[in-house]
Amino acid sequence: MAFGPGPVRIELVVNGRKLTTQVEPRVTLLDALRNYLDVTGCKRVCDRGTCGACTVMVDGRAVYSCTMLALEARGKDIRTAESLVVGGRLDPVPEAFVRCDAQQCGFCTPGFVVALRAALDKNPQATEAELEAAVAGNICRCGTYEQMRQAIAQLVRKGG
Amino acid sequence: MAEGWPKQRRVLGSKVRRLDGPAKATGLAKYTYDINRPGMLHGVIVRCPYAHARIKAIDSTATRKTPGFRALTILGVSRDGVVVAVEGNQLTYTPAAKKKAGQEERITVTVNERVTLIKNHKVVSLKEVQVGDRLTIEVEQDAIGRELFFAGEEIAAVAADTEEHARDAARALRVEYEVLEHVVAEDEVLKDRNKRTVPAPSNYSEGKAATQGDVEAGFREADAVVEATYGVPVISHQCLESHGLVAEWTADGGLTVWASTQATVATAQQLAARFGLPAARVNCITHYMGGGFGSKFGPDVQGFAAAELARRAGAPVKIMLDREAEITTAGNRPSAIGTVKIGGKKDGTITAYAVDCYGTPGYTGGATVNLNLLPYVYTDAIPNWKRSHAVVYINAGAARAMRAPGHPQNCVLTEFAIDDLAARLGIDPLIIRRKNLPPNNPKAPPNSWAARRNTIYNEQIDIAVQLSRWKEKWHPPGQGNQVGSRRYGIGMALHTWGGFAAGQPNECFVIIGRDGSIVARTSTQDLGTGQRTVTAVVVAEILGQDPASIITEIGESRFGQSSGSGGSTTCPSQAPAALRAAQAARDELFQKVAPKVQADPADLTIAPGKVVDRKTGREWTWKEFCARLGMEEARGRGVWSLGIANEPGNEDISSGQVGGVQVAEVSVDVETGLVRVHHIVAVQDCGLVVNRLTCESQVAGGVIMGLNYALFEECIRDRVTGRQLNADMEFYKLGGLGDMPKITVHLQDMPERGVIGIGEPPVISTAAAVGNAVFNALGVRVPFLPLTPWRVLQTLAQGGKIR
Repeated sequence: MAFGPGPVRIELVVNGRKLTTQVEPRVTLLDALRNYLDVTGCKRVCDRGTCGACTVMVDGRAVYSCTMLALEARGKDIRTAESLVVGGRLDPVPEAFVRCDAQQCGFCTPGFVVALRAALDKNPQATEAELEAAVAGNICRCGTYEQMRQAIAQLVRKGG
Repeated sequence: MAEGWPKQRRVLGSKVRRLDGPAKATGLAKYTYDINRPGMLHGVIVRCPYAHARIKAIDSTATRKTPGFRALTILGVSRDGVVVAVEGNQLTYTPAAKKKAGQEERITVTVNERVTLIKNHKVVSLKEVQVGDRLTIEVEQDAIGRELFFAGEEIAAVAADTEEHARDAARALRVEYEVLEHVVAEDEVLKDRNKRTVPAPSNYSEGKAATQGDVEAGFREADAVVEATYGVPVISHQCLESHGLVAEWTADGGLTVWASTQATVATAQQLAARFGLPAARVNCITHYMGGGFGSKFGPDVQGFAAAELARRAGAPVKIMLDREAEITTAGNRPSAIGTVKIGGKKDGTITAYAVDCYGTPGYTGGATVNLNLLPYVYTDAIPNWKRSHAVVYINAGAARAMRAPGHPQNCVLTEFAIDDLAARLGIDPLIIRRKNLPPNNPKAPPNSWAARRNTIYNEQIDIAVQLSRWKEKWHPPGQGNQVGSRRYGIGMALHTWGGFAAGQPNECFVIIGRDGSIVARTSTQDLGTGQRTVTAVVVAEILGQDPASIITEIGESRFGQSSGSGGSTTCPSQAPAALRAAQAARDELFQKVAPKVQADPADLTIAPGKVVDRKTGREWTWKEFCARLGMEEARGRGVWSLGIANEPGNEDISSGQVGGVQVAEVSVDVETGLVRVHHIVAVQDCGLVVNRLTCESQVAGGVIMGLNYALFEECIRDRVTGRQLNADMEFYKLGGLGDMPKITVHLQDMPERGVIGIGEPPVISTAAAVGNAVFNALGVRVPFLPLTPWRVLQTLAQGGKIR
C-alpha cells in the first residue's frame, strides 16, 4: 500500500497570524486548521462539502474549508469565526445571532456567521433575500432558522 | 412547606440571552470534537462493509507496520483473567468470568505479536507477566467466526499519530468475510416471516396487542368508517457534532474523557465499570455539546475503544465518528407503518379505532411506536379501540431514542385517520378533535394535567385557530385556493408529553464568595437547550443578580449527581435543584453575616443587587454584604428528583404532562409534486417558563425538526448491497433556511404548575399537521412520509382525484 508523499512544511495566514505546520499534501484546509493548528471554530460535520459548518473566508470569499487542500491556501488570507470577536467585542453578525438566539447547540453557527460576514463584506447593502441565499449552503439541525431570519432582518436594518 | 418559586419574578420567565452564545457564535467554545490534547492520537474504527457477514480471517500484521501506527484493539474479544502459568511463549489463565459456578476453566494462549496483554492499564510483554497477575488478554484470532449484523458494525479500532495515518492503518487491517443473507427492507420480512438474519429467532416478532370496549360494535354504530395504511420511515438523528470522545489516562491511573454526551455521569460510570476504576476516578467533561436528540447516552463502542486505545498507546486518543458512521451506527429512529380503521358519527364522535402496525428498530431492539398511547391523545375519550404491533428486524444499526420516542409515529397513525374520517363525514376535522378530547378528571389535584387537560386542549385549539386564521382558511379537502398549479391547504394535529423531573437525583451547588462572586455548579449537560443559562437565571433570581454575572460550571461528572438529558427531564430537575441550592446558599450567607452586622437572619432579605434588613431598613450592596463573610464562603446544595417533586406541597415547583396543538399551512404544486410549508402555528403549554427566549427557541426548533420529518428525512437502503444509499448530508435531506415557513410560537404559561420540560413535545405533531394540510390541499391522502415530490405525484397518479 502506498502512503503518498510525506508531510511538507506550510505557512498559513489565519486570522492575521502567520502559522506554520507540517501536513501531508492530502490534508484539507479544514483538517489543517483543526488538527494541526488548533483553530477549531470551523467544524467538521458532513465530510463532503454539503453542510457549510466548515465555512471560512479565504481572501474574503466564503469557502467550504473541507473542499480546499491546505497547500492551496498558502499565501491567502484565511479568516475563521474566531476573528469575529476582538477584545470581547462581537462583530455585528455573531452579535445579532446572540441577541436573537439564532443558535442552540451552536455547532453549525460559526459556519453561518462566517458565510453572512463574507456576504455583508461583499455587499454591505445586501437584502434579506440576498443574505438568505448566502447561507443556502449551510444546515442547522436544532432548527434555529426562525431566529436566524430575525438576526438577518436586524443586520439588514443596521446595514451589517 | 419548603419555599417555592418567588411570587414576584424579576428574571424568571423573561428573555435572557444564552450565556455561552458569544463563545459558540465565534467558534471559541470547545466542543468534544475540538479538543486537542498534547500528544493526542487519532482513532479510527474498522467497520463491516456488508449488511450481514461472518469474519473468516483477520490479520493486523500490515496495520502494525503503517507509518504513525500506535495502537490497535479488536473489539468484543478481550477477556480479563488471572495468570496461572507462563511457560515459554505459552500463557495460561483463568477467565474472570467463570463459565459455571465451581467449574474452573483454564485457557492457554500462544503469545505472539497479535496477542495483546494489559496489566495495570499498560501493555506488557509476556516477560513482565507473573503468576497471579490480573490481565486483560486480547487474541486477534478470537474475532474469527464473529457474526456481524449490519453494514457499519464495529470490528476493530486503531490509533495513530495523525488522522491520515489512522485511516491508513484502518485500511491496512485485513479482514475476510463470509457474506451472509441480509434483509434491509421491512416488506421483505413481511413476505417471509421465517427469515433469520438477525440475533433474534426470526426477523419478525409478534408484539403486544390490547383492546378496549367492543370495536366491531363501535364500527357498526358509525355513520362512516375509513380504513387506510399510513407510515413513517426510519430516519437518523444527524447530530451535527458526531458521536465520540477524547480519552486521556492520568498519571495517577484515573481517566478523563471529553465526550459528546447527553449524560456525563452515566458515561463516567460506564467507563469506570468497564475499566475497573472507582467511579470518582473518571471525569467526563461535556462543556459544549453539538446535539444529541436522544442518541448520546453513554461512552458507546467508540468511547470504550478510545479509552482502550489510549491506555494501550499511553497517550490521549480522540475518536469522532465520520458522517457515514454517525448515520448508520449511532442511532436510527424506528419506522412505523400501520393500517388504521376509524369510525365516527356525524357529530364528530369517534365510535371505534383499530390500528395494526409494525416497524423496524434495526437489527435489535423493541417496539417502534408507543403502543400504550394509541389512539394517542384521544385514548381516554374513544370508547372502543384495538391496537397491535409487530417488530420487524432488518440488517441496520439499532434504534435509539429520538426526541419523544414513539410519539411522532403515534401522532401520524392517529391524526391522519381523523382527517380522513372528517372528509368522509363531510365535516371540519376540528369538530372531531374537540369532540374526542380526553375528559378532565375532577378527582385529580386541581393543577394537574389530568384535572385540566380537556380545558387546556380546548384553549390551545382556540388559540391555534385564531393565530392560523383556521376558520377563514379551512375548506373541504381539495376545494381550496389554487394559484396556477399550486393548491393550498391547512392541517392540524395534537400531541402530548411528560416532561417531569427525572427519577434519579439531580444536584446543583451554589457558592457565594466573599468578593460577591457566585458560582453555580452542576454535572448536568447543555445540549443546546439552554440549560446553562436556565441554571444562571434561577440563581440570579434568588440572589438578586444579573444572570450574566453568575459563573456557571456545568458538564463535568465530578460536579455531582445528575441524570441523562432524556425525556425532557433536565430543566424540571435542574431548575428546582438550582432554586434549592441558591436558597440554601443565601440562608448560609445570612447565618454567617447576620451576627457581624447585628441583624437577625430572619429579618434579612435580598433585593436586586443588595441585602436589606426588613426590621431596621438598613441596606448593604451585595459586595459589601458578602465581604463580611471574612475568610469564609457561603454554600448551598440543592437536589431534586421526581420523588421530591411528588412530595405534597411541591407540585408548583415542578410537574409534568403537557399538550400542544400545531397548525400547518401549505401549498402543493400538482405538476411538480413539490410541497411548500408557508406557516406553522405551535401552541405549547409549558408550566413555569424559566427563560422565555430559549423556551421559544426550543419550540421553534422542534417544529423545524418535525417539518424535516414531514418533507425530507428518510434512510434509504439498497436491497441488493444492504447498504444505506444516503448515509451523508447530501442525499439525506435536511431543510435549509430557504425551506422554512414562518413559525408562530405561542407559549401557554401556567406558572402554578411549576417547571415542565418541553424539549420534546413541539417536535411531535408537526409532521402530522403538515400531512393533513397536504391532504386538505389535494383532497387526496399522501399516506407515507416524507412527502417528497415523488410520493405526491405517485399518489396523484394512482387515482388521486384533484379538482
